[in-house]
Amino acid sequence: MLDQLGNGLMLGVIIAVAAVGLSLLYGVTRIVNFAHGELIALGAVATLFFSSPETSRLLYLDRFSPLGMNFGLSIFFAILLCGVIGGLLELLLFRPLRKAEVGNIAVLVVTIGLSIFIRHIYLLFTTGKVQKFPLELQRRETYYFIDLTPRNMKILLVGLFVMFLVGCFLTFTRLGKAMRAVRDSNDLASISGINSDKIILSTWILSSMLAGLAGVFQGTINDVRWNMGFLILLLIFAGTVLGGIGTSFGAMAGGMLIGVLVQVSVALPFMEGHTEAKNAVALGIMIVILLVRPQGIFGLKERIS
Amino acid sequence: MKLSSRVVITVLVTTASLASVYILNPESATRLIFSLLTFAGIYGLSAIGLNVHFGWTGLLNFGHAAFMGMGAYTTLLLVPHAAGREGEITTSGLPIFIAAIIGILCASLLGLLLGLPALRLRGDYLAIVTIAAAEIFRLLVRDLEGITGGVYGIISYSDSLQKYRPQIVDSLLSDLNISVTQTWVGILAWISIGIVLLLLRRLNRSPWGRALRAVREDEDAVRALGKNAVWLKLQSFMLGAGIGGLSGILLAFNYGSLQVTTFVPILTFYIWAIMILGGVGSLTGPIFGAIVFWVIISETDKIAGLIFENANGQQLAGVRFALVGLLIMLLMIYRPSGLLGKKEELLLDVK
Repeated sequence: MLDQLGNGLMLGVIIAVAAVGLSLLYGVTRIVNFAHGELIALGAVATLFFSSPETSRLLYLDRFSPLGMNFGLSIFFAILLCGVIGGLLELLLFRPLRKAEVGNIAVLVVTIGLSIFIRHIYLLFTTGKVQKFPLELQRRETYYFIDLTPRNMKILLVGLFVMFLVGCFLTFTRLGKAMRAVRDSNDLASISGINSDKIILSTWILSSMLAGLAGVFQGTINDVRWNMGFLILLLIFAGTVLGGIGTSFGAMAGGMLIGVLVQVSVALPFMEGHTEAKNAVALGIMIVILLVRPQGIFGLKERIS
Repeated sequence: MKLSSRVVITVLVTTASLASVYILNPESATRLIFSLLTFAGIYGLSAIGLNVHFGWTGLLNFGHAAFMGMGAYTTLLLVPHAAGREGEITTSGLPIFIAAIIGILCASLLGLLLGLPALRLRGDYLAIVTIAAAEIFRLLVRDLEGITGGVYGIISYSDSLQKYRPQIVDSLLSDLNISVTQTWVGILAWISIGIVLLLLRRLNRSPWGRALRAVREDEDAVRALGKNAVWLKLQSFMLGAGIGGLSGILLAFNYGSLQVTTFVPILTFYIWAIMILGGVGSLTGPIFGAIVFWVIISETDKIAGLIFENANGQQLAGVRFALVGLLIMLLMIYRPSGLLGKKEELLLDVK
């Protein structure tokens, strides 16, 4: 079981980073964003495109060749790109919908359509192959009692640090406080002179960049696939629900917990030979949580009505 | 039904889209149209079930593929079939019609099982739970190889339905060079649609139907009047799931071999696109939605041909599904009531 702990932490950090963004966006805009997975995939696909050597054939369309950039720089630009796309989605799609007072359920269906659309654009661009970042293989080492490659250890630390930063941002900065104010009550925030359009735009950008970072993590730890975002999206929902929808700290803890539970469940006796079903465990946990404690571990009851 | 401009437009759009198939594929048009109408019948039936959930009762069900899968798997495992890695043959089984009824009941039962916890939740939570439940169903089906055949699927079950194919179908279609087996499934699908629509029309006009729509509009008011809103929602969930189960059975017989990959989440989104296109809350809307949708789908290969030279299967699928996504998005933004729906009957906000 301990062997799986390292894997669980890695999956957990991907889910947690993505879940913070998803949960924040839900809190501020009330949008259940099914296209969040596609922003995750964008982080990975863009990094792959920026960093792969120019000669490698990644795409169906021959006139685009990879850029062969430095890996660190690629990550930076990929996450930036995610932020830009997130901002554009808000400005071009979701703000007009909000101004037209389109209901939440309609917007939810729109995000689903958007997710299917973007995902298959990736399929068209990435040839559907499972691809890897241009990084050398590393051997696992033991840190205390967790077995991880040095690179994955770095990811774990970066992920935790980023979540710490997001936590500080929400607690101490003006913008972060304004986000939480809009989340708690849009009307009261407006009365207090907070420009909710600006806050929502910032939330979209932050949420998308976090998704992009999660995608870079996922691409580094595992591989890059056109449908990687959709595959992990349900686990992110599970993490968000477990922690309590709309609570950022809950999403972090819930995400880590789901990741560890999914991987550790592989070691359970009745799961022997059924490793493919491990995601079902996480989804089952989510359904049970929604049943007995819909506000999640850290959520407040009034948020779920 | 009063002949409103909506109905006229819908009929025109449907006819025009079918005509476009003839114009674009002069040689193979008959075969294409028959195959297309079979798919449209099956998917339209499924969309009618989904419409009971979303259109009538306002339930956001994103796990419809699981109900379809439940119906299909239960039925196929009860009739003679071969399953699994070794193709283990089961020769004894129930007659198809009894097996199908059990399959439909099992799909309803899954609806009950899922509905019991999920219907206590608010709309958007229900969306997450149903999509997760469908994924659990898919993972379990894939994992329980001993029962369901796992990734190897189920084969050789078609005879149990095809042996009831009347001779007249064969003789009528003999000159047309089209698949009689598929057409027989298509005929059954359209008969099922007829029966289900008659049943639903009765229900829709009954006090029960009115109570359901009242649940969609204002649940608290329904409670205040002494109706059990949760039980009403459960009944609607079971009814729609059962219809979904029936369409799943037909889909399995249309394919001739059952793969786990048949009942993936994208199937649910197909059905959603059809329902929105046809008109949320409209009884007959999904039928027209299904026909127009399948015409669009069958023509996407041409669009793919414009983008890629010699497009391969993956590129075709990519273009096709990207278009489905775009269609769902644009319809929901610009015409959420679809062809035949009524905007005032559309549930757009979270309750």
